[in-house]
Amino acid sequence: MYTLGIESTAHTFGVGITENDRVIANERDTLKPLSGGIIPREAAAHHFRLAAEILGKALNKGGLRLKDIDLFAFSQGPGIIPSLKVGASLSSFLSKKYGKKLIGVNHCVAHLEIARLYTGLRDPIMLYVSGGNTQIITYYNKNYIVFGETQDIGIGNLLDKTGRRMGIPFPAGPEIEKLAEKGKHYIEMPYSIKGMDVSFSGIETFVSKIIGRETKEDIAFSLQETVFSMLIEASERTMAYCLKNSLVITGGVAANKRLNEMGRKMCSERAAEFKEIPMEFAGDNGAMIAYTGYLMRDYNQKDLDIKPKFRTDTVEINYR
Amino acid sequence: MKTIAVGSEAVVYENNGLIIKRRVKKGYRIREIDSNLRRKRSRAEFRTIKELYEKGISVPRPVKYAEKTEEIWMEKIEGERLAERFTEEDAKQIGIMIADLHNNGIIHGDLTTANIIKKGKKLYIIDFGLSYHSTKDEDMASDLFLFKNALKSKHNPLYNGAYPLFIRAYKSHIRKEFKGIDTHLKDIETRRRYNESY
Ligand SMILES: Nc1ncnc2c1ncn2[C@@H]1O[C@H](COP(=O)(O)OP(=O)(O)OP(=O)(O)O)[C@@H](O)[C@H]1O
Ligand SMILES: [Mg+2]
Repeated sequence: MYTLGIESTAHTFGVGITENDRVIANERDTLKPLSGGIIPREAAAHHFRLAAEILGKALNKGGLRLKDIDLFAFSQGPGIIPSLKVGASLSSFLSKKYGKKLIGVNHCVAHLEIARLYTGLRDPIMLYVSGGNTQIITYYNKNYIVFGETQDIGIGNLLDKTGRRMGIPFPAGPEIEKLAEKGKHYIEMPYSIKGMDVSFSGIETFVSKIIGRETKEDIAFSLQETVFSMLIEASERTMAYCLKNSLVITGGVAANKRLNEMGRKMCSERAAEFKEIPMEFAGDNGAMIAYTGYLMRDYNQKDLDIKPKFRTDTVEINYR
Repeated sequence: MKTIAVGSEAVVYENNGLIIKRRVKKGYRIREIDSNLRRKRSRAEFRTIKELYEKGISVPRPVKYAEKTEEIWMEKIEGERLAERFTEEDAKQIGIMIADLHNNGIIHGDLTTANIIKKGKKLYIIDFGLSYHSTKDEDMASDLFLFKNALKSKHNPLYNGAYPLFIRAYKSHIRKEFKGIDTHLKDIETRRRYNESY
């Protein structure tokens, strides 16, 4: 069975194809604005412009034509409205034209499913860190439950905003990581953890005030050490609370080596398992939508509208 | 000395009927962050337990704080972690306990059913490492939010019955206008739910 999945929740447009539970194509393109975060209409225009090309590439990779696809899937949310609309209308058009079923997939659930697929971990805690998302999710009572979350801004946004203040172009994460490697002196920063939740606004304000007074390297180093410690601590708290034994880190910020090193260390110290997933499947991608669509192939969904504020814990999981 | 629990932060030993809690080094954190956090939290925890115990709130009896080793010595509660034993009727007692804490100007900071011990029908609150002094509405709301989320996530099937009991008990025992706290509670929930999630 061939499933074609379309991801378009934010600034990445991706098309993936699975043959049953195996990924056979995963093509995408990410809009990189010159400054600042995502401008919703620009992202949508980007997706619209490249949709046909990326779709074609994915089909080529899989050696398939559209009429060979048995099931279509799209990311229903959460995300920004103009971007979501591109994936939703394209997939709905294809499903009607070829007379095949359409499945709406929750973006966060898809991250978790592809992480399980590629790590082989059966029931991990997932630390999901991207631009706007900072969540700790795990399976519980037939649902994916958000145990911990940021109470204000996402980790990626924090890095990008801070980067912009330091004159680093968007996305600032990779450059901050490089600077951090050269940092030597730790500047004490607000460490804010509330149960399994974290909050970043205090540290954002703090850092904005020391830019120019401390070296970029030390700021980057101290910022990373502080916020990643918070995230790993919150993850560890969730593991202890839910009595779970493995961790996977996903989302765009999962590309950070230091964050992974900390996750691995935390797990080894509590005799838990830690696995990295290939970056291709950690950032937003179409394959995870196709794969999750395939898992959900027997769902009877009535509501296939986009859901910009789609909560992970409202998805009923009945294939597990 | 027998190890009785390894939590997320601490190792808990038993020695002659007493509990010894020691926060362990976390290799993932740099020394500057790690040793500072552990010291601060262990001190705060002991101070809070002492203060609350003296006010008659249901916490383990504090014995001593060993400054050098940063160990907290306290009474052992012969019970079990509420996380595995939670029933709807516990909700009311928790609501009263949290109101008592707040009436005494203490915020717990890490309220979950893992940090409550059940002995028979009686409940004890533990793990005050993230606790602090405050009488601000928003800090009280933060505790309520944590507990609400703990119920919703870990005890979802019981949530609909238990939460109203919890909040009603809290409301009738808190010596403050509940409305102000409730406004902040709703605010935290909205913020958390609607932080740009994509
Ligand atoms: N006074 C006590 N009497 C009996 N048992 C205790 C006592 N204090 C702690 N424990 C046991 O030790 C466990 C861990 O304690 P505590 O919550 O203080 O540490 P922690 O490392 O912060 O744990 P966690 O991360 O799981 O919250 C408790 O769940 C409980 O089983
Ligand atoms: Mg605890």
